[in-house]
Amino acid sequence: MPSDLTSLVHWILFLPLGAAALSALFLRRAGTLAAWLSTGTAFAIAGLSLLLLGQGSDVTWHVELARFGGVSLGFGYLIDANARLMLFVVSFVAAWIHLFSVGYMKEDPARGRFFAGLSIFMFSILGIVVADNLLMTFIYWELVGFSSYMLIAHYFDKDFAVAASKKAFIVNRVGDLGFILGIAMCLSLYGTLDFTALRDHAAAAKTIPVAVGALLMCGFLGKSAQFPLHVWLTDAMAGPTPVSALIHAATMVAAGVYFMARVSFLLAPDVLQFIAISGAGMAALAGLCALAQTDIKKSLAYSTLAHLGIMGCAIGLGRPDLALMHMAMHAFFKATLFLGAGSVIHGCHHEQDMRKMGGLLKKMPLTAATFIAATLSNCAVPFLAGWYSKDAIIEAAYHGGHVAIFAFLALAALATCLYSGRMLRLVFLGEANSEAAAHAHESPWTMTLPLVVLGLVYSVAGGFLASTLLPAGALQPIKPALDALAFHLTAPSTLVGLFSLVVGLFGALKFYGTVRGADALQVVSPRTYHLLEHRWMDGLYRWYVDAVQRRIAELVAFLDLLLINGVAVRWLGGGVPAVLGFLTGRSFHRGQTRAYGLWIVVGCLLLVWFLLAR
Amino acid sequence: MEFSPAALLTLTVTAPIIVGLILVAGRALPHHFASGFAFVGFALPAVLAPWLLLRWTDPTTTPAQFQSVGFWGFGFGLNGLGAPLLAMTALVGLAAGIKALTQEVEGRNTYLGLILFMLGGTLGVFGTDHLVGCYFFHEFALIPTFILTLFWGGEGRRPAAMQMAIYLTAGAMASLAGILIAVDAAGVAYGAATFENVANGLQTAAHIPAATGALVLFGLGTLASLFPFHSWAAPGYSAAPTPVSMLHAGALKKFGLYGIILLGLSSLDITGGSLGTWFLWFAVANVLLVGLICLAQRDLKQLLAWSSVAHMGPIFLGIWVCGVSGQADGLDAAAFLMVAHGLSCAALFLLANAVRARASSYRLDELGGLAARTPVLATLFIAATMASIGLPGFGNFWGEMGVFLALRAQPLWLQALVASTVVLSAVYALRAVAATFFGPASAPLEQRFAAAPFGDLGWAERFAAFILLGASLMIGFVPSLVTKSVNPVAAGITTLAQPNAKAPTQTGPAAPAPR
Repeated sequence: MPSDLTSLVHWILFLPLGAAALSALFLRRAGTLAAWLSTGTAFAIAGLSLLLLGQGSDVTWHVELARFGGVSLGFGYLIDANARLMLFVVSFVAAWIHLFSVGYMKEDPARGRFFAGLSIFMFSILGIVVADNLLMTFIYWELVGFSSYMLIAHYFDKDFAVAASKKAFIVNRVGDLGFILGIAMCLSLYGTLDFTALRDHAAAAKTIPVAVGALLMCGFLGKSAQFPLHVWLTDAMAGPTPVSALIHAATMVAAGVYFMARVSFLLAPDVLQFIAISGAGMAALAGLCALAQTDIKKSLAYSTLAHLGIMGCAIGLGRPDLALMHMAMHAFFKATLFLGAGSVIHGCHHEQDMRKMGGLLKKMPLTAATFIAATLSNCAVPFLAGWYSKDAIIEAAYHGGHVAIFAFLALAALATCLYSGRMLRLVFLGEANSEAAAHAHESPWTMTLPLVVLGLVYSVAGGFLASTLLPAGALQPIKPALDALAFHLTAPSTLVGLFSLVVGLFGALKFYGTVRGADALQVVSPRTYHLLEHRWMDGLYRWYVDAVQRRIAELVAFLDLLLINGVAVRWLGGGVPAVLGFLTGRSFHRGQTRAYGLWIVVGCLLLVWFLLAR
Repeated sequence: MEFSPAALLTLTVTAPIIVGLILVAGRALPHHFASGFAFVGFALPAVLAPWLLLRWTDPTTTPAQFQSVGFWGFGFGLNGLGAPLLAMTALVGLAAGIKALTQEVEGRNTYLGLILFMLGGTLGVFGTDHLVGCYFFHEFALIPTFILTLFWGGEGRRPAAMQMAIYLTAGAMASLAGILIAVDAAGVAYGAATFENVANGLQTAAHIPAATGALVLFGLGTLASLFPFHSWAAPGYSAAPTPVSMLHAGALKKFGLYGIILLGLSSLDITGGSLGTWFLWFAVANVLLVGLICLAQRDLKQLLAWSSVAHMGPIFLGIWVCGVSGQADGLDAAAFLMVAHGLSCAALFLLANAVRARASSYRLDELGGLAARTPVLATLFIAATMASIGLPGFGNFWGEMGVFLALRAQPLWLQALVASTVVLSAVYALRAVAATFFGPASAPLEQRFAAAPFGDLGWAERFAAFILLGASLMIGFVPSLVTKSVNPVAAGITTLAQPNAKAPTQTGPAAPAPR
């Protein structure tokens, strides 16, 4: 075990915690300093992660923090090929998003708080990546949830942001409830929480109980916003746009996928089946729902849900390598899309309604170019980043012989092209549809440079660059997936992809050009639009909270007051003091100090009696 | 000059009492003189008690069940469970003292003196290893609690103080009867009735009266607000002056749990038979029913008071599962949570009072948007809330998580019921944070601010909150600070409890877990 690599991981993990603590304690009023401290730290981590990626050797390190009986509370690192890749993706994307935020948040008076939050988030997500055991993973899992909560609530004077932050935290905790039970079950069955030891146990065991995987999966459903716990992600867009890009598109939601890949040996076939089907269904549904959003960020959020579904589907198909590859590719192009949206919103004076945009291609050329590049990657245009990973998953579904899953994924591919075409048409093409869009301006370099780096470099040439620029062995976890891809015209995935591209993208570009200043689908078929727009699950949950949970809570509180406090205490319990009060000629309920004195005297007498009577 | 730990322990407990006596006797002492004096009384234990914990040597080398450092005649001695609780009490005491010193009240010297009595008594509870002495100190702390609530309390103080007095006296009586019967059965002289001697005596006792366990469990359980003997707690904490709620809910209440562990769990088989089944269901009710009651609260201080009752649930369950499983991890986790809850709960009462001082109300619908006006108060309140709902980094996480893990051999539905606290507590705690600090300010609050503009948290209260949250973070990052002294005691008690542990009832392990 090379100890210098261990200290490298120490630095990667604890640098952002230090930056967050410094910002929170001393830089609340020095926003610029906090911004650059946080950004500098993020770039330092990205450099260190690249160094670690180049080393290509595993790191394991473990200490015991304390013991509860026979249970060891451990803290340690397990850096394998997957972890190195994830570390690099997370820190690299994060560094550029930090730089983007410096420009985007320039006018915000609470920048100190914002950047402290970003740094805390970095500490948390990196902890999930390096953790070597379930307990430590859960610790950082919770911290990620907390930092997400704080960042969504950044505009805390807005009711919708407050509601969204609460919703995100609570829905995540519902998933964590299952996660906790899964951890307890692992400890109960295998006596350990270490990933390496668990892997050995799982290899030795003939079958893995379904419950273990099902419970651990609950954490994934919450954090990666999978059905039925997906409802928080679209609301989470209430946070500042860089937060949406970093946390709610590129990294945090991908952490669930990473975690599932890390414990894939604990997932029984039934669990995998469930994840595959629900993921594929989710991908198709969310892709279609993206068509009925007018807010550019909400539309992108549904797109993220769809891609998370695709990643989940890959896990379920028993291909965590493909899931990780798509996670990496998606991180780059989706971060670019969100940052591009941020740049558009910034340029259009905080207008988020796509129907009021239009014609931005000429006014914001850099933003437009990178956004279009990332969109094409999103649509899986051949040889762009998204194509490598998404088509590989569709191909795997076809060869896995799952007709329903394949069909869902094909539908998802079509939906992706449809909403992408719609977005391009409404935002960048045509004429400006509002005053704000007419006076749009290109963003400053701190915002466009990250777009160019993330967008052009990585989305467009992601696959090639990754395999030529990055050190040998860096792509070890996804190499087999890349090699196994059969790129020929008759492959089902290629056919599906090309069909979607031609029909979906070009069809949408044409269709959405027919109506100006409004949504063409809403005009042509309001009923379809409303069906996709309506949030059925939200309604269901709201009904549960209002009609079930609240009523039960009030009933219990009432019964407690009536039965325990009222009947048992006032009548039965009150009897004794009443008798005593009668005997001593004074009421106990008058609350006099002497009454307590009496009780104390009675107590002392009893004590003396006991002492003497022995 | 080297002081012996025994002498320092003695000083820790007696200093607040002596200072309290001087203040109560010297009602006419000048303001500044009294303040300085009182501060010494609050601060001295807060320096000494954590120092004693840090100096704790590894007692695994000695065979004693309850390692005692420095007997002092009949009185003082520290065991591994008491040591972190003593440190926690002292820190809560300092924070409560700072709060009390900033308050303008009538009869200030008497007020401060009584709070010092309360602190001294609570320190005495954990600073003696003598069973009857421990009980005596609890009563000694309880009397000023009643008086303080009655004369210096807030709205509804009379009925609340009355109800609290009746409940706690009844609970104390029941537990005293249980304690005396147990000492009797152990065949130990009262003067020598240390926890260790009584536990050892009960191991070989020919006959222990059947009701002893129930008297101890429900008597002490009442003091620790075990469902359904909890009705006193929420109104009691709500009505009491803030320093008193901090000390009572944070520290003094832990006496009940401390006694249940050292006497009930170790020697009286409180987790076996039908008594054990009742214990389990009451503890689950603490988590679940009281958690639901928290959801229905519309007043910030009431909510904190109820949630403090709900958070006893996991502690009780940690104790319970230690008895039925014969494993020490549940007890270790419960003890950890006792310490951590004391810190977070005191911090919340402190900060909620700061909210009230600004908004003149605890009603959630009359608050809102405070974060814009008082960012430091908001940050600290959110931190304390996160600590109390078990966010990692704070001590409460280890305790709660430890209890969940300790329940791992129990049926899944039971684990799910208990772990549902992570959702319930998040729902009510975040709702309180949002209603108090986030969103636009409510109309009453705006009017109030327009009439009398208020500032952010003052330096004294900031310092007090920093002490509590800092300590919680410290044990969150370095949990061994607590476990190093608790582990051996928990292991010892588990061994003692083992021969008594009956075969698991229908709620026992579903299947033997392969190791």
